[in-house]
Amino acid sequence: MKTKKRIINSENKRCVFTFLALTLLFIALSLLNIGIGSVKISVSDILSSVFFRDSGAGGYDIIWKVRLPRIFAAAILGGALALSGFLLQTFFNNPIAGPFVLGISSGAKLAVALVMVFVLSRGGAVGSAALIAAAFVGSMLSMGFVLLISRQVKRASALIVSGVMIGYICSAITDFVVTFASDESIVNLHNWSQGSFSGISWQNAGVMALVVFASSVLVFSLSKPIGAYMLGEGYAHSVGVNIKVFRLVLVLLSSLLCACVTAFAGPISFVGIAVPHIIKAFAKTSKPIVVIPLCFLGGAVFCLVCDLIARTVYAPVEMSISSVSSLFGAPVVIYMMAGKAARN
Amino acid sequence: MEYFFQTERLAVGYNNTIIVDGIEIKLEKGQILTIIGPNGSGKSTILKSITKQLKLIGGVAAINGKSIDEINMRDMARQTAVMLTGRPTPELMTCWDVAAAGRYPYTGGLGILSAFDKQMITEALRLTGAYDIKDRNFSQISDGQLQKVMLARAICQQPKLIVLDEPTSFLDIRCAVEILDVLRKMANESGLTVVMSLHELNFAKRVSDFVLCVKAGSVLYAGKPEVIFTEDIISRLFGLPPGVYTQLFGGL
Repeated sequence: MKTKKRIINSENKRCVFTFLALTLLFIALSLLNIGIGSVKISVSDILSSVFFRDSGAGGYDIIWKVRLPRIFAAAILGGALALSGFLLQTFFNNPIAGPFVLGISSGAKLAVALVMVFVLSRGGAVGSAALIAAAFVGSMLSMGFVLLISRQVKRASALIVSGVMIGYICSAITDFVVTFASDESIVNLHNWSQGSFSGISWQNAGVMALVVFASSVLVFSLSKPIGAYMLGEGYAHSVGVNIKVFRLVLVLLSSLLCACVTAFAGPISFVGIAVPHIIKAFAKTSKPIVVIPLCFLGGAVFCLVCDLIARTVYAPVEMSISSVSSLFGAPVVIYMMAGKAARN
Repeated sequence: MEYFFQTERLAVGYNNTIIVDGIEIKLEKGQILTIIGPNGSGKSTILKSITKQLKLIGGVAAINGKSIDEINMRDMARQTAVMLTGRPTPELMTCWDVAAAGRYPYTGGLGILSAFDKQMITEALRLTGAYDIKDRNFSQISDGQLQKVMLARAICQQPKLIVLDEPTSFLDIRCAVEILDVLRKMANESGLTVVMSLHELNFAKRVSDFVLCVKAGSVLYAGKPEVIFTEDIISRLFGLPPGVYTQLFGGL
């Protein structure tokens, strides 16, 4: 009895420690992101602007109109990506599945680009909800292709390769569309189609918060069946999981989360694969009830780091967020595959 | 109807294509039925159908007098447990975690284990002899340990009917006997009804109350082991050349 207690405690300790470490990182990175940029803002100005709403403080407008909504978006969308990746890994029982490698992000990107080019070229404006809807349709189409392929081929590697190919096809068409429609009003499209958190307004942030939080709460409430599903479909069915409904909900939620990210920030690579893996490695557990909240927090931290680097290294020129997230995320995937090969 | 598990004119298969037809099973509480037959004869299809993983194509299967089509998923999960072939590949799960997955039909919305759940898991692991390895990583245990953990997981569901697909394949003789002895003991002591498929005929003879012989889409023979395990029937079931049966099972 004594040993059992100790082991359970040490397991809990690791999770609590991971949670605290991520929270501290989150706070530190938020402050850094507020302070650092083309205009440097001092700590005292940050404090008086953010907490005392002192509009006389230096950088008040920059903080409230530019940096805070951007931090807010990076955190929410990062969390959404990590969760989307976690769901896809569960669904395909494949640790390197994710919205980017399976081409789902790129499908969403293509749909959004088409809608934006069509509407903007007629002088209209596209609202946040319409963007998400377009991205959702695009991600579901890509997901549909991936599912069709996954029925034909059972090998995990073939699934990933076809996902990557779908991604390339969608990206290529997006490039054609964006380049062809090189109108003044859609110059911004180019930045967005490479992936960026810039130019996000509070209104955008509100809509994405609503969608992402609602989806995330749903994902958390699915912890129990997700855990049962980890032993495979047969065993999940035998303990009472309605497999058809469960799989459908997983597909819808992962696509919706991915769509929300792509609608506002474009495609962001590797967050969906790297974050769940890092979280499981640190917390030393795969229990969904622990991993889901930690993944969200981890995704937020990951994207805050990437965004900080993307916008400060060559300031005032911004790099695409995907360049930075690939640099950190792709090695994790390689490490993971190498580790798996070594174990087999 | 005094039978606990019963099928009548049961036809099973995939996508409306019948694989095995005319399955008649009548089992009282605490009896063990073993299905034997050549590879690909449809043993797994029968097992998947009576656990509702596949839709029945024809006929009826009933537990405690109630057709399984009318039993909802939770009630089904609370009285029927399975042990499938193949090795699940969960990440970072201990043997305890895997066994605990059997408590699913009893835990609340978030699946948090109560003290009673933990006691049930402990008892199940002790019963199958897997308690000592409960903290080991599930993906790093041997095939014998794997089956003991999966059996503990099934027992955690507190089933009245347990359905096992080749529970002794890949096991050394001692592990196989230990697994079957747990089943026999639970059948005798707590009235657990068992339906399983086996390839090892010597084990089938030792543990079963009834044997069902399946070949090429139909039930060839059904009956008590002493009737089934004769040279004539086994040779015909597996297509053995004359003399092989006596050579292999002379002492059976």
